[in-house]
Amino acid sequence: MIPTFIGITLVGFLIMRLAPGDPAELRAAGGLGAAAGGGISVEKRGSVDEAVAQWRAQYGLDKPLHVQYAVWLKNLFTLNFGESFKDNQSVWEKILERLPVTVKLNLWSILVVYLVAIPLGIYSATHPNSFGDQVTTLAAFVLFAVPLVWAATMAIVFICGGDFYYLFPPGGLESLEFADDWPVWKKINDHAWHLFLPVVLLSYDGFAGMSRYMRSSMLEVLGQDYVQVARAKGLPEGMVIAKHVLRNSLIPQVTILASILPGLIGGSVIIETIFSIPGLGQLGFESVLARDYPTVLALFTVSAVLTLFGILVSDILLAVVDPRIAFGRRQQ
Amino acid sequence: MESNNFAQATEGLWFDVWKRFQRNPIALAGFYVVCCLGLMALFADFLANDKPYYTQYKTKSYFPILRNYLVEMKLGQWPAELLNVEFRKLEGATSFFPPIPYRPSNINLLEPLESPSAKHWFGTDKLGRDVMSGMIHGARISLSIGFVAVGIAVAIGVVLGAIAGYFGSWIDLIVSRLFEVMLSIPTFFLLITIAALLPPSIFLTMAIIGLTSWVGIARFTRNEFLKIRNLDYVTSAIALGASDRKVMFRHILPNALAPVIVSVVLGIAGAILVESSLSFLGIGVPAELVTWGSILHEASSTTFAWWLAVFPGFAIFITVLAYYLVGEGLREVLDPRLRGLR
Amino acid sequence: MLARRWRFLFAILMLSVTGCGDKSEVKVADAPSTASAKEAGKPVTGDWLVIHSLSDPEQLNPLTSNDASSNEVLGFVLESLLTRDPRTLELKPLIAEARPEIAQDKLTYTFRIRQDARFQDGRPLTGEDVLFSVKAIKCPFVNAPFLRVYFNSLVDARLVDPYTIRFVTKEPYFLNESVLGGITVLPRHYYDPENLLQRVAVRDLIQDPAKLPGEVKKFGDQFNKNYSRNPMGSGPYKFSLWKTGRELELVRNPDYWGNGKAGIDQAHLDRLKFRVVNNFDAALVRLKSGSLDYMEALQPVQVVRGTDSERFKREFQKYEYYAPTYTYIGWNNDHPIFRDKRIRQAMTYLTNRQQIVKSVLFGLGEVVNGHIYLFRPEYDKTLPSYPFDPAKALALLNEAGWRDTDGDGVLDKVIDGKKTPLRFEIKINSGNAVRKSVALVLLDELKKHGIDASVRELDWTIFLNDVKNHQFDAVVLGWQMSTTESDAYQVWHSSQAANKGSNAISYKNARVDEILELYRGEFDAQKRIQLYKEFQRILSDEQPYTFLYLPKRVSAVQRRFEGVEVFPDGLRPVDWWVPSARQKYVTTVTAN
Repeated sequence: MIPTFIGITLVGFLIMRLAPGDPAELRAAGGLGAAAGGGISVEKRGSVDEAVAQWRAQYGLDKPLHVQYAVWLKNLFTLNFGESFKDNQSVWEKILERLPVTVKLNLWSILVVYLVAIPLGIYSATHPNSFGDQVTTLAAFVLFAVPLVWAATMAIVFICGGDFYYLFPPGGLESLEFADDWPVWKKINDHAWHLFLPVVLLSYDGFAGMSRYMRSSMLEVLGQDYVQVARAKGLPEGMVIAKHVLRNSLIPQVTILASILPGLIGGSVIIETIFSIPGLGQLGFESVLARDYPTVLALFTVSAVLTLFGILVSDILLAVVDPRIAFGRRQQ
Repeated sequence: MESNNFAQATEGLWFDVWKRFQRNPIALAGFYVVCCLGLMALFADFLANDKPYYTQYKTKSYFPILRNYLVEMKLGQWPAELLNVEFRKLEGATSFFPPIPYRPSNINLLEPLESPSAKHWFGTDKLGRDVMSGMIHGARISLSIGFVAVGIAVAIGVVLGAIAGYFGSWIDLIVSRLFEVMLSIPTFFLLITIAALLPPSIFLTMAIIGLTSWVGIARFTRNEFLKIRNLDYVTSAIALGASDRKVMFRHILPNALAPVIVSVVLGIAGAILVESSLSFLGIGVPAELVTWGSILHEASSTTFAWWLAVFPGFAIFITVLAYYLVGEGLREVLDPRLRGLR
Repeated sequence: MLARRWRFLFAILMLSVTGCGDKSEVKVADAPSTASAKEAGKPVTGDWLVIHSLSDPEQLNPLTSNDASSNEVLGFVLESLLTRDPRTLELKPLIAEARPEIAQDKLTYTFRIRQDARFQDGRPLTGEDVLFSVKAIKCPFVNAPFLRVYFNSLVDARLVDPYTIRFVTKEPYFLNESVLGGITVLPRHYYDPENLLQRVAVRDLIQDPAKLPGEVKKFGDQFNKNYSRNPMGSGPYKFSLWKTGRELELVRNPDYWGNGKAGIDQAHLDRLKFRVVNNFDAALVRLKSGSLDYMEALQPVQVVRGTDSERFKREFQKYEYYAPTYTYIGWNNDHPIFRDKRIRQAMTYLTNRQQIVKSVLFGLGEVVNGHIYLFRPEYDKTLPSYPFDPAKALALLNEAGWRDTDGDGVLDKVIDGKKTPLRFEIKINSGNAVRKSVALVLLDELKKHGIDASVRELDWTIFLNDVKNHQFDAVVLGWQMSTTESDAYQVWHSSQAANKGSNAISYKNARVDEILELYRGEFDAQKRIQLYKEFQRILSDEQPYTFLYLPKRVSAVQRRFEGVEVFPDGLRPVDWWVPSARQKYVTTVTAN
């Protein structure tokens, strides 16, 4: 666990520090406003250089790399991620502000995936090679191959208020007029309307992957001896499936959860960028562009933690679902 | 002696694979699409170019496209009357143009954002560049990134996986740890970080995609090596005194390749998807280059120009789908367990 | 269990479809938004203005914030000693009673401060607050290096009496009045409640920071940290709330000291809401659906295509004005290829500037030929305008010794004994689609004429670094000027080419240097105009930049607002009001 954590944070740290481009100069030049502002004359340049040096010292950017990393690691234990270079707000607060959004988006997406994919997979496995199965399989492939950037762009162009249809909002989490004193159902409706497209877009490749995975795992279980035995005992097919097959075929699905979590931040970047959703993915992208070291590092850390958490959760779930597996050592 | 028979047995296996592959019509269709795309990429200069195949000018005949290759390789030069000339407007010349008489970089400020028409089958972008030409040449970029990135991934993955699977014990432990770390790193975020911070270039994109996607291949290789290592023919080869390297790469590897091949095909599709995502976000791609992702990038901010969204996206989709179908087809053919069920 | 889920999903589906075409949130019954008869009349208070904001301000600290969004918001909350007449652009008094008394030596400026000005919490504004504001700017521990440099020439400031402040500057400079007049007055009791700066004088603050007493540093730290989201000043609008990423709100101050006084801007709208939509397309959708009232900058594509329907014209009015920024191609004058002015002239002849404005900007811009804002008297309209003329360009290049001697399609010349192709790289920064288009258009044209140019897009920080260190052949950049008098010294004087100064192209011309030095000390406006006309002629001949264009900005405002006028600097929402019959939003807690 620990080496993984160190590994991820170290990678993030090294990349940010070793990349060219200086956040101190960036701040002195007035941030990321695209047009070059009016210049500063040379005599005046002297004091800006001073300010830049001062600023770097303040953030410890003038110390050697390994010292910086050690300092950062130490601060970690007090949950002190420092302040954002962009706007001096506490990085931890910025992340906390956006975490629920990304989590919500992804939880819904996972839920939708499981809800759709598992029944589909079960159906496919119980009626193998039927017309339905073949259609589902083909559909799964096609969906899997649809690039997210294409689907999202098509959505924005055709159904979000451009030249064609206005079925869904062109972005954002809630309407501009969203007021805290709206009735609950209205708030839910508004949120649902805004999140519908992003969730669907995040989940559609999951439908494909999961349902195929469920199908193959269930087929494997169905081919096992004890299933034949159960049938021979005279149990109705439905019960065979419900009592014996399902539980065992669900086992691998649980491990998928562990692999979804690391991609939480990166995976949402495209959706959050296109739909202007203020989540961690968008924060990550903007922070990288602004060379906001503390925020980017914090995000790498959060990702590391999520990964480890995901592994832990899937271990636990696995133990719950599969009584044969004990805690502790697990065969890879 | 044994190695010769062994090689023959391998050849027979691939032929057998091909025959069985052909029995899957969908996978076969995918394969043909892959081939077509490859040809399109290879011959892009002959499909979409502002220079003609053949032109007759002032009683002399020329082959401008071929001549261009020569000049670029410094093996020839342009005759004075054809220097930097716009062939379409050349007076007194009869020329035969490729089906799409534009290069993706041909800017035409008089025809910006035109919807598909007879003149521009897929429309133009905001600088008047022909979209269809961009797509054909874009195939070249996407496929080359796919191949090279996966090439890098294979090189790293196979070697590391082989070492881990063959030597076992503590080496395997360390390498497996490495796998874990790599798998836990937020890959896409890492890619964005690197691509956004360093000056954009195709080689950088190829390299970083390759460097972050080798783990799957490594794991498959390792598993295969673990299985095969204990088989009789291998233990006897070792007993006979063959060196480690020889055993790994001449005896085990050819048989371990099956899952790797599938990974390669799927990996190419994956690399193309990642690359288009990066250029969609506006990073990793040099400014002058027109790629499928960069046209989509423009589409997202010019929403009435639907042709900018539909066509390049469809190209990515078809490419990825074709490679997936081939990959899946190969997997079903190569996987001994599934043979019975099919 | 399953059934419930399905019902919920179905509900979501139904709600999503029916939830489309969001109705705007009106607390009063839907007021017709068509402007039927022009209800001219006396301005009344009421209603809100919902302004589109592309992004949140980074923070709202009056001195340390450095971005356009924060400047816009703070402009409603804080006031300065002098302001500008929106039409004539002349300096006129605001917090000061009148323009300052300037001593004979042009070094001392004395301002008398109004005695009736008040801050938004009711406390009176006195000279002490002005003095405090100056100290805060000069305090080296306050994170405002960018602002501080403009006051480097200020060496002393002192109160002569509670309502009179005297400034002393180092050297005579005709812009000093404008700089000093631009000091925003901060309430001392709010920004320095412990009065930490009381004992230190402005004179002390320009010394070595290490020698300053500890409380100065304490002030600096507190000031930097505690005031990012809660500005307070004397202006007509008070800060009300800020929901990051969503909305920022200002409310009208009913007790504004300037109410009813002649010469002071009167505010009528009850609330100004800045709503963040960080995507122009989404913003236009929201404008049309009523969630936004005012979009300050429509994209050129949107002006030409998204906003010309009958329906749009009925609901919204578009206003055009020229933003005081210009875009240019900077040639590195030290580069062996670009040392020769004929090459630079040739490059300008190869740039189809008119077509770029027509196609890339959709006609929303003007070609410019000099460094001065197009509409200022100093701009010389008789300057030769280099038309798009490839033949002439080629002639110039040939004259300078560039020919294609080896038939490979690229011009070459023998430099220092080696055959060198005419090859160079144009650098641009990422994140600016228009500049990228300009670079690509130029590239295409250059390639057609035998010039092997390439474009390199770099991240802004790396780009900035390269520009400042002169690591480039050519760059596409822009300058932000002002509609008021400006000083070209920083950009064009040869001394500014060293040390990462703004003269990044290393332009050196003795006569230009002379002109720029004279200009700074010249207090007669007419003489300044003459000087600058000569300056522009020299630049026009030498083409150190290829000057490109001035962009035209187009704003859209919902028609229910009255009093909307276009000024040289743009629109001024502070003047707007809505007749009672057309008011859309009602403030439930009226303060009248």
